[in-house]
Amino acid sequence: MTETRRRALAFAVLAAALPLCLCLASASGSVALPPGSVLSSLGARLGLPDVFPLSPAGQTILWTVRLPRVLLAAVVGGGLAVVGAALQSVFRNPMADSGLLGVGSGAACGAVLAVKIGWGQTFLALPIAAFAGAMAAVLAVYVLAHAAGRPSLHALLLTGLAVSALAGAGTSVLLVATEEFRVRTVLFWLAGGLEGRSWTHVQLGGGLIVAGALLLLALARPLDVLSLGTEEAAALGLPVHLTRLGILAVSSLVAGAATSVAGSVPFVGLVAPHALRPLVGPLGRHLLPAAFLGGAVLVVLADLAARTLSAQLDLPLGALTAFVGAPYFLLALRTHEARA
Amino acid sequence: MNAVLEARDAVVRRGAREVLHGVSLSLREAEAVALVGPNAAGKSTLVRTLAGLLRPERGQVILQGRPVSQWDRDARARALALVTPEEETPPALTVQDRVALGRYPHRGPFRPLTREDRAAIEGALAATGIVDLARRALETLSAGERQLAALARGLAQQPRVLLLDEPGAHLDVGHQLALFRILDQARAAGVAVLAVVHDLPRAAAWAGRMVLLDRGQVTAEGPPDAVLTSPEAARAFRVSVRAHALPGLPHPLYSFEEPS
Repeated sequence: MTETRRRALAFAVLAAALPLCLCLASASGSVALPPGSVLSSLGARLGLPDVFPLSPAGQTILWTVRLPRVLLAAVVGGGLAVVGAALQSVFRNPMADSGLLGVGSGAACGAVLAVKIGWGQTFLALPIAAFAGAMAAVLAVYVLAHAAGRPSLHALLLTGLAVSALAGAGTSVLLVATEEFRVRTVLFWLAGGLEGRSWTHVQLGGGLIVAGALLLLALARPLDVLSLGTEEAAALGLPVHLTRLGILAVSSLVAGAATSVAGSVPFVGLVAPHALRPLVGPLGRHLLPAAFLGGAVLVVLADLAARTLSAQLDLPLGALTAFVGAPYFLLALRTHEARA
Repeated sequence: MNAVLEARDAVVRRGAREVLHGVSLSLREAEAVALVGPNAAGKSTLVRTLAGLLRPERGQVILQGRPVSQWDRDARARALALVTPEEETPPALTVQDRVALGRYPHRGPFRPLTREDRAAIEGALAATGIVDLARRALETLSAGERQLAALARGLAQQPRVLLLDEPGAHLDVGHQLALFRILDQARAAGVAVLAVVHDLPRAAAWAGRMVLLDRGQVTAEGPPDAVLTSPEAARAFRVSVRAHALPGLPHPLYSFEEPS
């Protein structure tokens, strides 16, 4: 099969899988809704006749509980995967991910701080604090790495690691100092999850994520040039430091927004691009949209599993993506080593 | 004839160390220049300075009559291409896509491929003899083939000046001969070519002019055979060089010995 056909096939499968998964995830849950009625209710919003109407309770469940959660899962997954793919090009390393920039640990520190202050129950306080924490961490990485002039990728990476460790230490100290009943609210967030997310979360987080992902897609070609290495990119006329900075900034915004609405959702940024690169190729204009679709499918399904695997409780979404992602990664590593 | 690229008394620092202590060098249209010198003489630094990637602390680099630092980045990359030893390029990238990135200075972030772009890419693939490899991923190629793909990227830029840092480093003898033939074709088409070459006899056979760089200074310059047998070359490489003219060969053979 030629690479063009393989790529077309991959996109066709992804483009079909996403709406299918969205519909399946909207229909399934503690109260099952007939998929036909879900489709019919969605169609009714678009002005089509509502041929299989849902019960009024079903309508409420679909439109106020399920849909915002499912859509948020899709944009969070898509956003994290696009950021992963972009950072892997910037750092020229298939293991790069938003965690390198301190986004996750900064967000966690911000969220725990908000809970410690007593804002845990205030609407949107947690995501906003998490977002602020993520941005503060990224800014710290940037400022510290630039203290001695333009940093190498290596210096940037190590600075990210150090700032993450610092933020992690801050988080543990804050957690120990926080009353036990408050720790519970933030633990759910730390473990990653989309329980009880509203349309407001979708509008705020989703808006930022989709806008950022589109911006990264617009930078697809500079990203390809950057993946050739600093020197070759500069020789091709690319303003290397400016481009790198822009991509890191947009990536931080997207990952920060995703983490602030969903908590920690690990491995999506690694697995989706890694699995799709052999199918669609490494060029940004193919890989970024494919990663968005793949990441969206992955998190929608993981969230579905989180809600439905156990009848008693919502499992943490972050744990589920890690349960899938970590073994996948170990397997991929082994095949890679065997080939090399 | 006027110089297309010229360094005037360039002093270049890398970190705290002054690597080039006032280097002057010029490159004319359709000229093939071999830059030779011992390890750590500053050859790579000089090439990157000529390419506009390193800024001299004193002196300047003039590209087509204008200081290279005043050039717009894209315009500079259309006029001048730099090919360095193969770094770790994205392993899954195909040769075709790698060469196509050579059109970046012509296309920018948004313009789709034009017929002209396609012609340049196909021409570069053909000139380097890697048309058959176009669809292959870089990770499936040998180091020598990847080096040819890097050169094809440089040719796809359609530059007036082509700078190469050790282009023959990974190549076996057959590929080396092919490489220097390709460079000669580019030169014949009017491109000014300057290459850092470690293999001195090969450099002498290929180049029209040789520049010897020793400890950050140009110590000899001229016809390759004269430069190689000069006392400056003997001092720079700490060897004694002898040329043996053989009937029927266009260039003398060289032998190198440690000084007694």
